[in-house]
Amino acid sequence: MKKILLTLLITGTFVISSCKKSLLDQDNPNTLTQEQFWKTESDAQKGVNAIYHMFYQPGGWSRWIYFRLDLTSDEGFSKSPWIELADWTRFQYINYNFFEGNQVSYRDTYKAIFRCNQVLTYVPEIPFADQSKKAQMLAEAKFLRGLYYYYAAILWENFPIVTTIQSPTDMPQQSSLAQVWAQVERDLSEAAAALPVQWNGNDIGRPTKGAAFALLGKTYMQQRKWAQAKTAFDYLITGAGAGFYDLVDYKDNFRVENENNKESVFEIQFSDANKTAEGDGPSSNMGNNRAQFFAPRSIGWSDGQARNWMVAEFKKEKTLDGKIDPRLRYSLFYPGLEADFGDKTYGRSWQWDADEAWFRKYSRDYMRTNEDYFSQVNTRMIRFADILLMYAEASNELGQTAEAYQYVNRVRQRVNLAPLATAYPAIGNDQSLFRERLKMERALELCGESVRWADLKRWGDLETQAGVAKVAQRDPDFNNFVPGKHIRLPLPQIEVENNKDLKQNPNY
Amino acid sequence: MNKKLPQGRDTNIPLKSIVKIKDRIFKIALTMLLINLTISVQAQQKITGIVKDASGPLAGVGVQIKGTKTSTLTDGNGKFMIAGSGTTKAVLVFSFIGYQTQEFSVAGDQTLSVTMIESTSDLNEVVVVGYSTQRKQDLTGAVSIVKAEDVKKRQATTVAESLQGLATGIRVRGGGQPGSEAQIQIRGLKNFSGTDPLYVIDGLVTSANRDFNPADIESIQILKDASAAAIYGTRAANGVIIITTKKGSEGPTKIDVSAKTTFQTIPRYLLAETSEFAALNNMAYDNANVKRQNLDLSVNTDWQDETYRTGMVQDYSISFSGGGKDNSYFISGGYFTNKGAVISTGFDRVNFRVNTKTKKGIFTIGENLAISNAKADEMSGNPIVSVVRLLPTIPVYNPANPGGYGYGDEARARTFGTNPVAIADLEDRTNENLRIRGNLFSELQILPSLKYKINVGYETSRDHYSYLRKPGNWTLNQAFDPAIINENRGESSTILIENTLSFDKDFGKHKLNVLAGQSYQRDKYAQIWGTKRNILANPSEGYYDVLDQGDEPQTGGFKNRTDLISYFGRFEYNYADKYLLNGVVRTDGVSRFGKDHKFGVFPSISGAWRISREDFFKASWIDDLKLRANYGTLGSSNIGPYDYIAFINTFPTIVLGPGQTVLPGATQVKLANPDLRWEEVTQQNYGLDAAFLKNKLTISAEYFISKTKDVLLQYPLLLSTGNDGGNPYVNGATLGNKGFEFTASYQENKNAFKYGATANLTTLRNKVLDLGYGKNRTFVGNTVTEVGQPIGMWYVLQTDGLFQTAQEVAGYKNAAGKVIQPTAQPGDIRFKDNNADGEINNSDKVVVGSPWADYEIGLNLNASYKNFSFNMDWFGSFGSTVFNGPRSVTDAFSDNSNYRAGIQPWTPQNTNTDVPRAYYGSTINSRGDTDRWLENGSFARLKYIGISYNVPEKMMKKIGFRNTQISVSGQNLITITKYTGLDPEFSNNSIFEKGFDFGAFPNLRMVSVGLQFGF
Repeated sequence: MKKILLTLLITGTFVISSCKKSLLDQDNPNTLTQEQFWKTESDAQKGVNAIYHMFYQPGGWSRWIYFRLDLTSDEGFSKSPWIELADWTRFQYINYNFFEGNQVSYRDTYKAIFRCNQVLTYVPEIPFADQSKKAQMLAEAKFLRGLYYYYAAILWENFPIVTTIQSPTDMPQQSSLAQVWAQVERDLSEAAAALPVQWNGNDIGRPTKGAAFALLGKTYMQQRKWAQAKTAFDYLITGAGAGFYDLVDYKDNFRVENENNKESVFEIQFSDANKTAEGDGPSSNMGNNRAQFFAPRSIGWSDGQARNWMVAEFKKEKTLDGKIDPRLRYSLFYPGLEADFGDKTYGRSWQWDADEAWFRKYSRDYMRTNEDYFSQVNTRMIRFADILLMYAEASNELGQTAEAYQYVNRVRQRVNLAPLATAYPAIGNDQSLFRERLKMERALELCGESVRWADLKRWGDLETQAGVAKVAQRDPDFNNFVPGKHIRLPLPQIEVENNKDLKQNPNY
Repeated sequence: MNKKLPQGRDTNIPLKSIVKIKDRIFKIALTMLLINLTISVQAQQKITGIVKDASGPLAGVGVQIKGTKTSTLTDGNGKFMIAGSGTTKAVLVFSFIGYQTQEFSVAGDQTLSVTMIESTSDLNEVVVVGYSTQRKQDLTGAVSIVKAEDVKKRQATTVAESLQGLATGIRVRGGGQPGSEAQIQIRGLKNFSGTDPLYVIDGLVTSANRDFNPADIESIQILKDASAAAIYGTRAANGVIIITTKKGSEGPTKIDVSAKTTFQTIPRYLLAETSEFAALNNMAYDNANVKRQNLDLSVNTDWQDETYRTGMVQDYSISFSGGGKDNSYFISGGYFTNKGAVISTGFDRVNFRVNTKTKKGIFTIGENLAISNAKADEMSGNPIVSVVRLLPTIPVYNPANPGGYGYGDEARARTFGTNPVAIADLEDRTNENLRIRGNLFSELQILPSLKYKINVGYETSRDHYSYLRKPGNWTLNQAFDPAIINENRGESSTILIENTLSFDKDFGKHKLNVLAGQSYQRDKYAQIWGTKRNILANPSEGYYDVLDQGDEPQTGGFKNRTDLISYFGRFEYNYADKYLLNGVVRTDGVSRFGKDHKFGVFPSISGAWRISREDFFKASWIDDLKLRANYGTLGSSNIGPYDYIAFINTFPTIVLGPGQTVLPGATQVKLANPDLRWEEVTQQNYGLDAAFLKNKLTISAEYFISKTKDVLLQYPLLLSTGNDGGNPYVNGATLGNKGFEFTASYQENKNAFKYGATANLTTLRNKVLDLGYGKNRTFVGNTVTEVGQPIGMWYVLQTDGLFQTAQEVAGYKNAAGKVIQPTAQPGDIRFKDNNADGEINNSDKVVVGSPWADYEIGLNLNASYKNFSFNMDWFGSFGSTVFNGPRSVTDAFSDNSNYRAGIQPWTPQNTNTDVPRAYYGSTINSRGDTDRWLENGSFARLKYIGISYNVPEKMMKKIGFRNTQISVSGQNLITITKYTGLDPEFSNNSIFEKGFDFGAFPNLRMVSVGLQFGF
C-alpha cells in the first residue's frame, strides 16, 4: 500500500511539474508563418509567382471573366438553363451579390491586388545581389496590379484603390474612374521602365516591356487619350520593341501549339498538370475552364455562345483568291462550318439550331471530342494584331487617317484579304467612315477574345439610347440596357453594406 | 417520504415508540459500506427477508436498524439477514438510490417481503457536477438530469438526438441521415463559432459522437449555467453534458440483452406527375414566349420512389455486470446497423465496453474502456433537392447517355438536376472510424475526509474516408471525369491527466466540501490523403479501388496540436441543508492564443436558500422550497489551433516557359488577427425549486441572463482586403441571451394505475449588443444581423399580392407619380416600394421576421397499469419564421424543376390564387430574396409514443429469466404544422441562417419493436 501511495504521489508530482507553460507555445507545424517569410530572393520570387496563380482562379481568367467581357458584349450571349447566370449576361442584375456573376470576380481581383501589394511592400526590404533582378520583380508586381485594376475599371469603374496591405478592419475610400486610370498609368509606366525586353527559358510568360507599353496604351485608349496611347504603342510598332513582334499563322493564336509566339504580347500560361479543384489548396488546378463552359450543348455546359450575326459579317468579304475569310473557321462553330471548311464540331455534324453559333477560339475540338476544367491552352490576353488595330484607331482619332491604313492592312493581309482601300474605296480619308469600318475589322479579327466590351465602351456606342438600339440589332439583350447604368456593373451589395465609405454605382 | 406501504404485513405486532433522530438518509449503497459496522451484542433477534421491485428481486438495497449503526445489503437474490437487539422492537429502514425509503417495525424473528417503490421525487438523486457529485437537492446551479431510460427508449444514433424535449433549455436538431450527428444548443447562441456543448464521459473530455453507444449510459447531467459549468472553465461556454456509463453492482452476474428493430420512412413532397407537369411547363413557356420543350410524355418517373426506401435499424446490445463487496464490473457489447431511407446509404457500428472498479483498504482503482468501430456509407449529392429538380418526364435510365442514366436534355427536359440513382451508383463514399476511449483512475482515501484522485484518460481514433468516382454522368452537360479514387486517413489522440484532492467533512450542522485540482490535456490530429485518376477497372466488376492504381497522383497531409493546462478549485458549504454556498474558480491556459493571451481565469459563485427548512416556514403543503442564485464567468476558445498566426500559403504553383515548367509560389492568402483572446460569457441565473402534495408535484423555474463579450467570430471581411480561405477569427461581437425555463412534474403512484406528466417550457431571446470592427450590421444570404436585434433576422423584399389587371400595374405609383413596376403584367407579383423611390431594388428590403422560436415546449406523459406501461413525448416550437428553400424551386417556374402537385398559377381565367403567373426563363416572379418563401415555422410533434409489457415474473422464472419486456414504439409519427416543407424541425449549420431550409435532410418517421430480457 505504501508503495502504491508513493507511486501515485510521484506520478502526480511529475505530472504537475511537467505541465510547463512552454507546452502552450505550439507553432504551426504545417507551414511558414508570415514572419518567417519575405527574407530571401527565393521568397521574393515565390511571392511574385503567386500573383500569376490568380489567373487560374475562377473569378478571373479561368472562368467567369469571359462571361463579363465576351457574353455581355454583342458578340456573345447565354441561353443557360441557369437563369440567374444567363440574366447576368443580359443586364438583368437583380441580386448584386450573385456570386458567379459579380462577387467572385470582385473578390478575386482584390485577392490578386493583395498578392501584388505584398510583393511591393516586402520585397524592397529584401537584400538582393543583383538590384536589377529586384527591380524586375517589383515591375512584374506593378504590371499585374495595373492589369487587375485595368479590368476592374472596365467592369466596375468606381471602387476603392488599395495599394497597401489591408488589416481586417480597414475600410478604404471609394475612388473615381479617373483616379483608377491614374493608378493604372502609374503602375504600368513604372513597370515598363524596369521590365526586360524579353525573357528567356522558364521565365517566358512573364510580362515584357512591350506588354507593359501595350497595356498602358490600352489604358490611354479607354480614356480616349489618343496621343499618349499612340506614344505607348510606338514601342511595339516603330520603337525599340518592334523587332520582337509580328503576326503569325492566325490559328496559332488560340491553340496549344506555338504558344508564346511573336504575335503574343502578353499571354496567360495554362497547364493541365493538376486535374484538381481550383483555388489555394495543394496542387490546385492550373487549367482554363472556358471551353467547358462555352462548348456546345451536350458537350460542355453551353453557358455561353456566339451571336450568329458574325457569321454573315465574315462572309461579306472574300479573300483575294475568292475564299471565305479563314478567320471564320477558327473563330466560330456555326451551321455551315462542315460545308465551308470540312470541319466537324467536336467530331459531330451540326446538331444545333440553324441560327446558333458557338465560340471556337480556345476550344480543343481539334484534339478531343469533349472538354473539361483543365484546358492547357494559353489565353493570349494581348496580341500584336490588337495593338496594330488600336494603333490605327489612335491614328485615325488623331486625324492621321491615311497613316492608319497600313496597320489595318497588315492584319488583313495575313488572311489574304485585299488592302482596306481596295476593298472599301468609299472610306477614303473620312475619319468617321474609317472608324466604323475599323470597328468591324476588330470584331472579325478579335471576336471572342474578350476585348469587345472595352471596345464598345471606348467607342461610346452605349452612351446614347440610339447607339444602344443599334447594338441591340445585333444582340437583342441590349434592349435591357439602360444608358448610364449598365455601362458598369453594380458593386457587390455586401461590400457596399459593409463599407460605410462605399456608395453603390449610379442608378443601381 | 412516508408513503403508505404497498403491501400487507403482520400488524399484530405493536409498534414501539422510537427515538426520533434527525437523520441523514443513507441512500447510497457504497456509503453504507463505509460505515463501521458495530453491532451491539445483546440478545439476538434475527430478521430475514426479500426485497423486490416491480421487475424482481433487488440487489444492494441498504437495510438498517433505525437509530443504530447496524446495517446490511441485500444479496443478488434480493435476500437479507440482519440481527436485531433481542426483545426490543426494531424499525428497519430500507433504502436504495432511485427508490423511496421505507420503514418497517418488526419484533422477534420474522421474515419480511418488501417491495421497493421507485422514487417519484428525484430531489435526493446524486448528480455528477464535474470532478465530484452533489445531491440534487443541494444544487445551487442550473443542472438538468435526463434519465437513461428516457434516452434509451428512443431510437437514436447519437446521445444528442435523443435528448430533445427531455430537459429545458436544450434545442436539438437531428441529422436524419444514417450515422449523421445531431446539433445541440444549450440556452441559446452564446457565440458564432458553434453551439456544441462540452461532453464529459466518465471524466474524459470528449465528444459523444456517433460511435458512442447510448445503451451504455447510466445517467446524463446537463450543466447549463456558469456556476454549474465553471469547473470546466474555458470549454464550458456552450454548457456541459456529463455522461456516466454503467457500473456493476454487488451480486451475481446479471446478463441483460436488448434487441430493437426500427423501420424508418422519409417524409415526401406531393409532386406533379407527367400530365400535370406538362400542362404547367407548357404554360410557363407559352407565357414567356419561348418555344415549348419536346417533353417525353411517355415517361412518368416518380423520383421519390426511385430514391427513397423503407430504412431499417437493428440495434442489439448485451451486457454482463456484477461484483463483490469491493469490486464491480460491467461489460457490454453492441451492434447497430442502419439501412438508410435513401438508397445507397447506411451505417454500422460495433461497440465494446469494459468498466471495472476495485477497492482495497483506502485505495480504489478503476477503469472505463470503450472500443467502437463505426462505418457510414455516405449520401452523395442532395437527393432531397434532386427529387424536386428532376422532371417526371426524365427516365431513370437512358442508354444514350454516358454511364446509361437519364438526366436533363436540352431539347426535351432542360434541367441541371442530378439523377440521384446515378450519383448513388457512380459515387461511393464511406467514412469509417475506429475509436478507443478509456480512462484509468485511482483514489486514495488518505483520511476519512480527504481523498486524492488521479485520472488518466486516453482517446484515439483512426479515421478512414474513401471516395470512388466511376465514369458516367448524372447531370446535363457534365464535364468528363475518368474513374477517380480519393482516400484520406486521419488519426486523432487526446491525453488527459488530472489530479484532484477533495476534502469532505461535517462540523455539526456545517458541511464543507473542498476540491482542488490540476489538469493537462493534449489533443492531436493528423491526416494524409491521396488521389489518383484513371484507376484500373476490374474486368469482373467495378474497379481496383486502391491508390496503387491509376495515374496523375496528388497527395497531401497536415497535423495539429493543442495543449491545455488548467488549475481549478471548488468549495461547497452547507448549513443544515438550509443555506448552501458554492464557489468555483478555474484557470485555463491554451496554446491556441498568442503569447500574451494564453491564460484566462473564470470564477463563479452561487448560493441557495432552502426556505422550507426554516422554522418560520409553516406551509405544510409545501414539502420543499429552495431559491437559488448564481453568477459566473465562462470562457471559450472554439477556434483552430493556430488561428492567431498569419501564415504563408505555399501551394500556388504556376507554369512558365516553353516546357510549361511548374514553378513554386508562396504568399499570404488569409489574414490573421494576432491578438485573439478568450471569449468570455458572464451569466446570472435565478432559480426556484419546489415540491408539493407530498412530493407528487415538483416544479422548477429558472431565469437567466448571459452576456458573451469578445465573441470569437469569423466576421465577414471586406472583399477589398483581398482575404480568402475563410474569414479570420476576431474578438468581435457582444451577444446577450435572456431566457426563462420552467418544468412541472406530477406523478401519482398510489394505485395500480399509475400516471404522471412532466411539462417544460423554454423561452429564449438572443440579442446582438455589439458587432465587431465597429460595424452596426452584417448581411449573410437573406438575413441581417444588427446591433440591438437577434442574430440573422430575415431581410427581404416584401410582396403585396398579385397584379390582377394592366390598370393595377399602371396605377401602382410612388408619391412622385412614377410607375413602380412598369414592365409587370397581370399575374405578376406586386412588391412593396418601401423607400418610395419608384423602383424595386435592394434598398426596398426590410426586416420581416425572426428565425427564432418564441418558446419551445416539451410534454412527457406516462402511465402504467400492472405490467403495461405507456409513454408519450411531445415537443413543440412556436413563433419562428423560416425560409422554405425547396418550395422556392417547386413554385418558381423560372427554371425547370418538378412542380408542387395541385399548384394553381395565376391565369386570366384563374385569378383567385396567390401563385403568380408561370413564367419560364425570368426570375421576375421567383426571385429568392422575397418574403414569398417565408413561412410560419411553428410546429408540435409527437416525438415518441411507446407501450411496453413486462412479462409476469412467474412465467419468466420458469425459464430462468429475471425479467422480460416487450415494447412497441413510434417516433415523429404526428406533426402538426402549417409549414409546407418536408420537416419544420430541420437544421442548418450556418448560425446566421438558422431558419433557412435549404432542403435539409428531414427527421424520419420510425416504428420500433423491442425486446429486453435479463437473467
